[in-house]
Amino acid sequence: MLKQSEQKTVSEKMNELSELVAWFEGDEFELEQALETYGKAEKLAAEIEHDLTNLKNEVTVLKEKFDA
Amino acid sequence: MANDQTPKFSVSDFIAVVNQSLEYSLGTVEIEGEVASFKVNQGKWVFFDIKDATGSVNCFMSLFQLRVPVEDGMKVVVRAAPKITAWGKFSLTIQSIRPSGEGSLKKSFELLKAKLDKEGLFSPERKRSLPEIPEHIAVISSTSAAGYADFVKILNDRWGGLKVDAAHVQVQGDSAPEQMIRAISYFNQQETLPEVLVIIRGGGSTDDLAAFNDEPLVRAIAASRIPTIVGVGHEVDVSLADMVADVRAATPSNAAQIVVPDRKELTNLLGQLVRRILVRTEGVVDGYLKDTKVTLRQGLTMLDTRVDLLQSQLVTSRQVMGAYNPRAVLSRGYAIIRGEVATGGIIRIEQQERIITAEVKDVEAI
Repeated sequence: MLKQSEQKTVSEKMNELSELVAWFEGDEFELEQALETYGKAEKLAAEIEHDLTNLKNEVTVLKEKFDA
Repeated sequence: MANDQTPKFSVSDFIAVVNQSLEYSLGTVEIEGEVASFKVNQGKWVFFDIKDATGSVNCFMSLFQLRVPVEDGMKVVVRAAPKITAWGKFSLTIQSIRPSGEGSLKKSFELLKAKLDKEGLFSPERKRSLPEIPEHIAVISSTSAAGYADFVKILNDRWGGLKVDAAHVQVQGDSAPEQMIRAISYFNQQETLPEVLVIIRGGGSTDDLAAFNDEPLVRAIAASRIPTIVGVGHEVDVSLADMVADVRAATPSNAAQIVVPDRKELTNLLGQLVRRILVRTEGVVDGYLKDTKVTLRQGLTMLDTRVDLLQSQLVTSRQVMGAYNPRAVLSRGYAIIRGEVATGGIIRIEQQERIITAEVKDVEAI
C-alpha cells in the first residue's frame, strides 16, 4: 500500500520532490501536465518546510548499562 | 628455642597467607615506573619489570589485557595486584597498563598507529559515507558531559524528526574503552540498525583522551556494521578512534553539523527547487511562443510569396487576354466582317470607330 503523504519521512518527501524537479528538467516534460505536477511539487515543498519547522527530535538515553 | 606463639605454616599455606595479607592491606594498587625487559611468551603471556632509579618489580599479565603498545623505556602506570607466586617469586599481576607522560603517550600512539596503518585500518577505501538525511542515529557518550549536551543542542537546532538513542558510558579512565566497545556491540546487534553511530567526547588532557587510542576500541569502531563518526576533544586533538572512523568530526558540535543537514539551508534549497521548476516551465512556454511566432512568420512569408505569384500570373493572364481582345485588334486597323460573303450579299464591316454596311460585288479565292 502506498504511504500517505503525512506518513512519509522528510527524506522520502525530499526524494519525491527531487524526482518531480527531474521530470521538469527531463525529456518527458509536457506542458499540459506541468501545471498539475507543479502543484504537487509546490504542495510537497510546503509540507517539507512545515515538517522542518515543527518536527522535534526524539532523544532517548538507554537504560542499558555498559559498565559490566 | 622457638616461641610457641610463633606462627607455623606449610610453604603453600604461608604463600596463601601472604597473598591474603597483601590483598587485605593493599588490594589493587597503581604504580608508576619505567618498563624494562619487556617480552611476550607463547603469544599469550606478557612479562616485564617496572622500575625506577632504585627499585624494580616483576610484572605479569595476559596478552589480551595489553590494550596499548608497550616497549622498554616507556613510562607507564600499571594497575595491579601484588602477589607471591607458587614458586615464591614476588610479582605484580597487571590488570591494566597505560602510558604515562607526554613522551610515552606519544610513543605508544605512534606504535599503534603504525601497526593499524599497516593492516589498512585507516585506508580511505574502507570509509563509508553517512546518509544525507538519517532518521535513526545512535550516540555513544557520557550523557552527563558538556560535549554530549553541545551535540544534542546543535542537533535540535539544525534538524527535527530524528530518533536518537544514546548510550551513557565512561569516556575516560580505564573502564572507558570496554564500556564503549560494549555500547558499539549493543547497537550493532539491534534488529534494526541505526543509520549512523556517533561517538563523542568533549575536550580534555592527552591523558583524558587516551581511551580513544585503545586498540580494542579502535578495532571495534573499524568492525562496526553501522557507519561511524567520531568527534573527540577539540580541533587539534587527533585520536586513533578518529582516524579509523568513517568520518572524523573535529568536535562533538561538529559531529552534529555533519550528521544532519541544517533545516534553514534545506528550506532555502526548497525555494530554489520550486524556482527551478518555474524557470523551466517559463522556458518551455517561451520556447513554444517563439516557435509559434516563427511558424506564423514563415506562414506569412509563404502567403506573401503565393500572393506575389498569383499577382504575377494575373498580370500575365491579363496581358494574354489583352492580346486576344478583338477591340485591340480593331485598334490596330483591322475590321470584323459579318454577313453573307457571296456576290450580292450584304455584309457589316466593323472597325474601331464605325460599322459599315456594304454589298458584296465579287468573291474570289486567293
